[in-house]
Amino acid sequence: MAELIIEHLVKRFGAFTALKDFSLHVRDGEFVSFLGPSGCGKSTTLAAIAGLDRPSEGRIRIGSRDFYDGARNVFLPPEARGCGLVFQSYALWPHMTVEANLTFPLSLRRIRKTEQRRRIAEALDLVEMGAYAKRYPHELSGGQQQRVALARTLVYNPEILLLDEPLSNLDAKLRDRARIWLAELRDKLRMTTIYVTHDQVEALSLSDRIVVMDRGEIAQVGTPQEIYESPNSAFVADFIGTTSFLTGIAEGQGTSLRLGLADGQKIGLPTTARVVAGEPATLALRPNQLLSDAEGPGTRLTARVTSQAYVGGRWQASLDLGGNHLRIETEQRLEGDAIVVRIPDGVGAVFRASPAPVTPVLQAGTV
Amino acid sequence: MTVLETSGPPPARTVPASPPVGEVPIQYGLAGLTVILVAAPLAPILLQGFSDKPLYDEGSLTFANFGKMASYPGFWQMALNTVLFGILATAIAQVVGTLAAILIGRTDLPLRRLLGEVFLWPLYVSSLILAFAWATIYGPSGYATQMVTLATGGQPWDLYTIWGMSLVAGISLAPVSFIYGQAAAATTDPTFEEAARIAGAGRLRTLFLVTLPLMKPALFFSSILIFTASLEILSIPLVFGTPSGVKVFSTFLYERIGNAAIPDYGVAATAALVLICVIVGLIALQNRVLGSTRKYVTIGGKSVRPRPFALGAFRWPVFILVAGYVLLAVGLPLGVLVLRGFVTFLHPMAPLADVLTLQNFRVLAEFPSYARSIWNSLFIAGVGGALATVFITCIAIVVHRSEFRFARPLLYIALMPRAIPGLIAGIGFFYAVAMIPGLAPLRSTVWILMIAFTMAAIPVGYGAIAPMLLKIGPELDQAARVQGASWWRAVTRVILPLLRPAIVACFALLFINFFKEYSTAVFLYAPGSEVIGTTLLQFWTQGHLGYVAALSTVQITLIACCVALARTAFGVKIYG
Repeated sequence: MAELIIEHLVKRFGAFTALKDFSLHVRDGEFVSFLGPSGCGKSTTLAAIAGLDRPSEGRIRIGSRDFYDGARNVFLPPEARGCGLVFQSYALWPHMTVEANLTFPLSLRRIRKTEQRRRIAEALDLVEMGAYAKRYPHELSGGQQQRVALARTLVYNPEILLLDEPLSNLDAKLRDRARIWLAELRDKLRMTTIYVTHDQVEALSLSDRIVVMDRGEIAQVGTPQEIYESPNSAFVADFIGTTSFLTGIAEGQGTSLRLGLADGQKIGLPTTARVVAGEPATLALRPNQLLSDAEGPGTRLTARVTSQAYVGGRWQASLDLGGNHLRIETEQRLEGDAIVVRIPDGVGAVFRASPAPVTPVLQAGTV
Repeated sequence: MTVLETSGPPPARTVPASPPVGEVPIQYGLAGLTVILVAAPLAPILLQGFSDKPLYDEGSLTFANFGKMASYPGFWQMALNTVLFGILATAIAQVVGTLAAILIGRTDLPLRRLLGEVFLWPLYVSSLILAFAWATIYGPSGYATQMVTLATGGQPWDLYTIWGMSLVAGISLAPVSFIYGQAAAATTDPTFEEAARIAGAGRLRTLFLVTLPLMKPALFFSSILIFTASLEILSIPLVFGTPSGVKVFSTFLYERIGNAAIPDYGVAATAALVLICVIVGLIALQNRVLGSTRKYVTIGGKSVRPRPFALGAFRWPVFILVAGYVLLAVGLPLGVLVLRGFVTFLHPMAPLADVLTLQNFRVLAEFPSYARSIWNSLFIAGVGGALATVFITCIAIVVHRSEFRFARPLLYIALMPRAIPGLIAGIGFFYAVAMIPGLAPLRSTVWILMIAFTMAAIPVGYGAIAPMLLKIGPELDQAARVQGASWWRAVTRVILPLLRPAIVACFALLFINFFKEYSTAVFLYAPGSEVIGTTLLQFWTQGHLGYVAALSTVQITLIACCVALARTAFGVKIYG
């Protein structure tokens, strides 16, 4: 158990910089997620911590031990680091039984046979796989393999636990169950953990803090709530959940900030918004901040319905609001080609200028 | 349920106690050994090629050897013969091999599995034995030749020409084309053909318009391979070309050094250099073809079992054609060769019962040097094959599974023997042993043969190991490293056990390769270190056809046993 300190980490592959000046302090026992689209540098960072990849510059420390220090040319090989890493593919050795897989790290540490047996039984019980010790990996389901991979990592009490998209190879139903199970395990163990994922639900529900990454840089670091409720950029807002963006021109001052849309309608902005009147601004709204019921407080706006689709129990409507494309879910099919939507007062995150073109995050239903 | 760190004694160590086995010495040591092994035969040839005197004399640098070689009587005729021989052999091998790959691999031909097996036999026995077999049945005094002569009254054919040489070489190399063609056919998406059929193309049209064009990259690739191989063959030109004075590069080299009264080492080394340069050029061409089409022709791609073409009414006529070829080109020659071992004299007019004898085998058993050649071959194949397998496996692992700085250069050097024909490797090691003072005790031992065979076999062995190694996910050894295993331990505990099938296959392949190898040994053997191949050549030049046949029979039998054993005990298919 220890804290992890990463300072100014850089990783270059030839002319391409995969990781730019990455700094992070992970506290002892903290569960931190690296969240971002593929190619954002999260796996590169994980590989650098585990020692599988040599960074180009910077420093990685666990407690007082230097794992890597570019300035002093220190690089500990992976075997000298004492990390625990669960691979995306689990990497269970196919020629060894579950038990032999777990014995491997223990025999490397010259642990007595009786103690080995006790620890293996304990680790397998912890992941509820005690009955499968004699099986070979190919005789297990994906979910079971994932648990064994975790047990194999936990059995030698690593200083820090690294999880590389451990749920991504499971099917949707199993993934939900495994996530809940993983959350329980996290509360029990309280290990310093780095969790790499591109799934915002996993990151939000499991983490103490989330590091959102974009093109080799940290986009935002914060608690799940901070990230979700006050994203600092359109990229983060978009990546962390289904978000509607409304772009217009900021108006007013102080407590009476408004966003003027192209079609003349106006929306009240939260007072915390830092925008300059007369300049373009973007309001990012969560699904629960854009409502189809006209009753209740807030700003009412009229939007044009461009298409509707039945998505099972509900209808999904695409809207056009002052040139902005929005999506909304309703209980019933909308009649007519216009709808009044309501935005409660003071909600949403505001950014200056228009959102950068971001890769759309596909997500079924509302969060 | 208990929680790990709250129960039991506190964790002893987070980092393993075992000192890591030094990966750096292993990797550098291996790389150094590889460089020495490859440079040992190359450096002396290079030196000799540019030296005006034999290497054991103090010579000075010169380019004169090139001029001397070019002005050699018959040199240009020899060069022309070599090219012609290569082109003809390649053409024959490709036509026969590709046709067989399609007919055996893609149609509903009766008994196609058996036919495919027999078709591959020339790969298992050496080209030396195939040459003897063909000479025994189709040579001027061959059994079939005599039979036809008796029936028709004239000599029906003459194998002792460049055409005859090319035919036998083509047949001995056709299995290579067959294997590449079959691999290409197996990795081709069968829906291409089905689409053509549905679009209205008949069977033959589909074959010519879809199947064959799709095989084109593989055909081109194997053409270069076969051409290169034909340049290296010594036995067939020696058996069929020498009597009528048709010389090619390999026989030229053999005679200049082996049989000439005053060996002209300078010219021989120069000729060897020329041959190496040509082959390097061909390999470069081959790599470009490979790069521009698919990364690996034989590996990868989904292995789909395409629906076989129905031959319909042509099923039996085609069967007769294919079976006829397999019988006449492979089965009968080898059969007659074996038969020749059991008789004193083989002629259509001589009744078999009168000439049957075990005398040939008795001689093999009684003369120590003959029997020794069999034991030496077995020893080199067994011990040398095992050592070479270990060595090559280590090279493949260091190249693909380590952070060794010079992994790429190591791979290039390790694959260099592809460009060095066995005969030339033999000459090179012969020079090396003569030149380097400390190596004298190696001379005329089986160990120098083993070393030379190993060097020549690195690319072949690597080809057996690397595909499987590349299929083992890197996260499997990474997982071991993260958990505290040193590089060497991750290799021994994770990679090697998973690689076992490939290692067994590599050993089986090298065992057979070493067992049948002769051209590398021609200049290296001495009394006491004879191998089957060199003894066979000796019998042949002395005209002891019965002994040739008997010793060939021994070799064929042992290889057959080894192939059967590899297949049944380890499930290893050595070719194809």
